[in-house]
Amino acid sequence: MATIEATGLGKSYGERRAVHDLSFVVRPGSVTGFLGPNGSGKSTTMRLMLGLDRGEGRTTFDGRTFVELERPLLHVGALLEAKPFHPTRSARNHLRMLAAANGIPVSRADEVLRLVGLESVSRGKPKKFSLGMGQRLGLAAALLGDPHTLVLDEPSNGLDPQGITWLRELLRHLASEGRSVLVSSHLLQEMAVLADELVVIGRGRLLANGRVEDFVSRSSLGSVLVSTPDAALLLPALERGGATVVHADAGLEVRGLDAAAIGDAAHAAGARLHQLTTQHATLEEAFLEATGLDQEFRSGGPATEAPA
Amino acid sequence: MIDALRYEVVRLVTIRSTYWLIGLALLFQLIMSMLIAWQLPESGPLSGGEQPFAALVTIGASTGFAPLLIAYILGLLGVFSMGHEYRHGMIRATLTALPRRGHVLVAKVVTTALVSALAAVLCVVAGWLSAVVFAVGLPTAEEVLSITTGTVVYTVLFTLSGLAFALVLRNQTAAVAMLLLVPTVGESIIKGVVAVIKLASDDPDGTSGVVTILKFLPYDAGGKMYTRLSLSKALEFLGYRPFDAVGGGIVLAVFVGLLLALGSFLFLRRDA
Repeated sequence: MATIEATGLGKSYGERRAVHDLSFVVRPGSVTGFLGPNGSGKSTTMRLMLGLDRGEGRTTFDGRTFVELERPLLHVGALLEAKPFHPTRSARNHLRMLAAANGIPVSRADEVLRLVGLESVSRGKPKKFSLGMGQRLGLAAALLGDPHTLVLDEPSNGLDPQGITWLRELLRHLASEGRSVLVSSHLLQEMAVLADELVVIGRGRLLANGRVEDFVSRSSLGSVLVSTPDAALLLPALERGGATVVHADAGLEVRGLDAAAIGDAAHAAGARLHQLTTQHATLEEAFLEATGLDQEFRSGGPATEAPA
Repeated sequence: MIDALRYEVVRLVTIRSTYWLIGLALLFQLIMSMLIAWQLPESGPLSGGEQPFAALVTIGASTGFAPLLIAYILGLLGVFSMGHEYRHGMIRATLTALPRRGHVLVAKVVTTALVSALAAVLCVVAGWLSAVVFAVGLPTAEEVLSITTGTVVYTVLFTLSGLAFALVLRNQTAAVAMLLLVPTVGESIIKGVVAVIKLASDDPDGTSGVVTILKFLPYDAGGKMYTRLSLSKALEFLGYRPFDAVGGGIVLAVFVGLLLALGSFLFLRRDA
């Protein structure tokens, strides 16, 4: 099982800074969603991680960089292109070729083709493949070496709803086996049900790295509704704890503290609580809020980073 | 390194262009050499020996009137070796399977050289077969070896130059254009310009000066490995003294080596 550790990744195209001092960790046994607006540097970051693009920083997979891995497909599977294959080389031969480079038996090519549902077209020319079929072949290539780590760039592109469900279940299953899965996607609703952890970037900078729940709960759009007959006692305690409190019809709407912290604060202040109702922001709301901050930064505002 | 070689071998045997290019080269070679052998006289200086045999093996290129066709056909193998990587977005798949770029490069050079050498030998055999079928007198073993070596080495270097063009340009179409145009149009234009300058100079017969450039036109110089007559002799009145087969071969090898070195330098430093 391998932890991915990216440290100080950076990349410029001429004067434009595409990725800026990006550091994050992807832990085994989890699906980590890699989120960012279009052009935020997700694909560039993934290519930097695998040594495909030249830039700054270092990414290790279980302590070794990708280039240092002997037979890398046995350690890290990657999907970076929508159709990364020659149009007249059959899907099976494409996988045979990759297998030959990593000492993988040819029988494994047939196994992964079966796994991704391309068995019936394995000997046909992939130039007739749809985008979804191309993605499936790319996934088959990533899974060829049964790797402990997967790095997938928009793998659900072109997949139909059944395909997306299949992909979600596959990635969840692979993570449950203890593998590290880093997957970028622009489908936030899909990521909300797939990812355990998140790396969120904007304009090439890290905005957040951690559990999805933490990212969402830190959003200012999430709050706890507090019903108490002792608001005068509770209010100063909450504000001392760093919360923002708004008086609402049903009581107090508290942002910046979770229900447990509010309960503790109430207990310490001797305030009675009748009800605590947590109102979560959605991942989409939290993401838009986080990247909205980034937009503000981009337009010349303060260099504020969301909590990591 | 062995893994990279395995990858390249499977890459070559699982792509149709490998077969149709080699097949095309052999077919052309066989048909054209048969045609030439059929037309050769039964007696006289052209009924056998080094010149007719060289003409069969090179299908006329040894006379200096035509380019070495098999080199041009097999040269596409070299272009495709690297060109397919960029044209079809394969380069990232390749480098995620084989992240050590130096190994990828060496494997491509080795396999391309071996395949083109093998195909060129088969083409020579086709020329020899035509000689046998039409009873064209064979030259001495030494002469057979000389023309065979020249043809094969030129073809291999030519094919590697195709690979190098694709490596530098990262564009298959542009690499094909360079491979076809530099030896023919490019070098011919330089010859023409040099001839005009030399004729207009105070010393049109001298062996020094601008005419020296002509000795170092890589494909023309390399052609001395398989030519037995040459149109280049027409330029001798301008003081042009070409290298012999070995010297010409070295000029072409150095050119291809430099082109590969430039391509390697870029390949190792560029984004995939």
